[in-house]
Amino acid sequence: MMKLKLTLSVSLLAVAAIMPRVAMAEVSPLDLVGPIADYKIYVSENAEKLVTNTKAFTDAVKAGELDKAKALFGSTRMSYEAIEPIAELFSDLDGSIDSRADDHEKAEKDPEFTGFHRIEYGLFAENSTKDLAPFADKLMADVTELNKRITDLTLPPEKVVGGAAVLMEEVAATKISGEEDRYSHTDLWDFKANFDGSRKIFDLVRPLVEKDDSAFVTKVSGNFDKVDTTLAKYKTAEGYQLYDKLTEDDRAVLAAAVNTLAEDLSTLRGKLGLN
Amino acid sequence: MTMSDNKLITNRRNMLLGVGAAAGSALASGLTTARAAENQGGQVTDAPVSDKMQERQPFYGPHQAGIVTPRPAAGMIASFHVLANTPDDVERLFRTLSNRIAFLMAGGTPPALDDKLPPSDSGLLGPVVPPDNLTMTVSLGASFFDQRDWLAPYKPARLSRMKAFPNDALDADLCHGDLGLQISSNTPDTNIHALRDILKNLPDLMVLRWKQEGSVPVLPPKPDGSHESARNFLGFRDGSANPDATDAALMDKIVWVPEGGDEPAWTHGGTYQAVRIIRNFVERWDRTPLGEQERIIGRKKPTGAPFGGSSEHDVPDYTKDPEGTVTPLDAHIRMANTRTLASNANLILRRPFNYSNGVSKSGQLEQGLLFICYQADLEKGFITVQNQLNGEPLEEYIKPIGGGFFFTPPGPLDETDFVGRTLLEATGHAMTRTKS
Repeated sequence: MMKLKLTLSVSLLAVAAIMPRVAMAEVSPLDLVGPIADYKIYVSENAEKLVTNTKAFTDAVKAGELDKAKALFGSTRMSYEAIEPIAELFSDLDGSIDSRADDHEKAEKDPEFTGFHRIEYGLFAENSTKDLAPFADKLMADVTELNKRITDLTLPPEKVVGGAAVLMEEVAATKISGEEDRYSHTDLWDFKANFDGSRKIFDLVRPLVEKDDSAFVTKVSGNFDKVDTTLAKYKTAEGYQLYDKLTEDDRAVLAAAVNTLAEDLSTLRGKLGLN
Repeated sequence: MTMSDNKLITNRRNMLLGVGAAAGSALASGLTTARAAENQGGQVTDAPVSDKMQERQPFYGPHQAGIVTPRPAAGMIASFHVLANTPDDVERLFRTLSNRIAFLMAGGTPPALDDKLPPSDSGLLGPVVPPDNLTMTVSLGASFFDQRDWLAPYKPARLSRMKAFPNDALDADLCHGDLGLQISSNTPDTNIHALRDILKNLPDLMVLRWKQEGSVPVLPPKPDGSHESARNFLGFRDGSANPDATDAALMDKIVWVPEGGDEPAWTHGGTYQAVRIIRNFVERWDRTPLGEQERIIGRKKPTGAPFGGSSEHDVPDYTKDPEGTVTPLDAHIRMANTRTLASNANLILRRPFNYSNGVSKSGQLEQGLLFICYQADLEKGFITVQNQLNGEPLEEYIKPIGGGFFFTPPGPLDETDFVGRTLLEATGHAMTRTKS
């Protein structure tokens, strides 16, 4: 708690330093302090949840509990995906935690290919926990380190506000196609987490935009709702149906919503006077 | 900027102004073009110069632009999934498309926004968008009507989902679409700029499904002002037998859906568009003897003249060659068009581009023809012609892999009108906005 307070006062300074110019929606730097502090709590909670869930997941992998590990894969990733704009600030960890086979020259066989997707490959493509223990240990160490670094992090306001759009760009560029979780096909879990993470940011700053641009707020909320309604069709008791159950029409609905949210949220920084 | 910089630019400008004359005299004195280019000076990253950037095509008229418009050097087909389902949303889609196309085809300065916001234009053509001979042609696929109960009764009578012909190997990711845009202009960059503008302005109503870009090889102007048909990637002239697009009466017969008849009234002035992505096996073609290539096509390769003719525009008389001793009976041009009174009913207006995409898994060039044609009757036009061609010897060298059938609505009459207005009016939709 001490640490959180300290970080807050630092954030305030960071906000003030970054906004020398007149804000478009007449948002004062002080107005952003509350939302940024709340977002820091959201990120910290998710990072801690990620540590807890990754522990259970990697324990199952190491114990050779294939079915349990498979079942935990989709939900474990969600707390990472929800805070991806912040997690990605640490590119070394993002690479070792969440890179995909095609980020590596030798793809699945590349020794640099580690993290969630390397384990996913073992569990779902090779249907085995064999030889996954070192990857499990590495993943556990990485998420623990991520949590530590996030605790110490001062959140740059433009990264937080920009993060709402960044999450949509991620989905639009590499996720809507189902290439993210290509072995497990648990992409809809990731979608849900990405959208929730983006909406969290939007909701936190929403009161600042609403007074000057209620049409914008209504439009963005409407598109988030559209995504929720569409994803809800694929909800199961445990989480979500596999990506291949997503119909062509619903995929187009999600793609259009993502593109529109990406366009609209790309103006959010500017609307709040952030560069 | 320093004085010497200024001087340098002035000198360079003078040099550019003198390019025409310099190039002329360079040719006259027998200098190679490489040498002439060397003499122009300039920096390696200087933009190539074109005097055609201000060429402008009219957007308004009874027919959409880009159909009888002479085909420029760069073309593209982009196919979209449409998310507009209600009449209001379809109206917004149509109006926004027309607004954007009107701006892009006319050129102009996009609005400046606060620099904390993303700019309104991609800027890839500079702060002032040049028209560059751009046309954007909007067409609707069968699914656009089939998937909307309120539109289904107004589907053009001959619009169908493209079915595979015997030689086709269709890739689902390159086929069909609710809405197609044919974009053509003098440069690929202008087309890309236009596409990005549309994507940015209609993200909630259109999702891009596939696109194919193409080009047309340019020729030097002929001294006598005459024109030749461009060549395809098989090295043959393509389009020699195209009907005369400057003959309005002929276009009324061949291209435009007439008034009356069994088509819905709203389609009058529109046309059917057939798009085919036809891969050419060019390595194999290039290893085929010239005589065989010519017999397969039915034309001489250097001139494009039919057998027994001297120019590409000569019309072969098959009545005098019933056995195929002059032009083989299975030559491409003979199977496509038998040149009889009856075959006049099957004429189409072709407007294709060559495409080149990359390398196949086998290490061969992925290239071919982005075939586009227009006709008043899709069944009597493209479908009949393609059925006549089924089994032709050329099939060994070509493989259609994508495309689709579309209907191209009539053009917007003036600034208050928009493409698709006649369709919406036919459905009885009360327009939500009087002005777009």
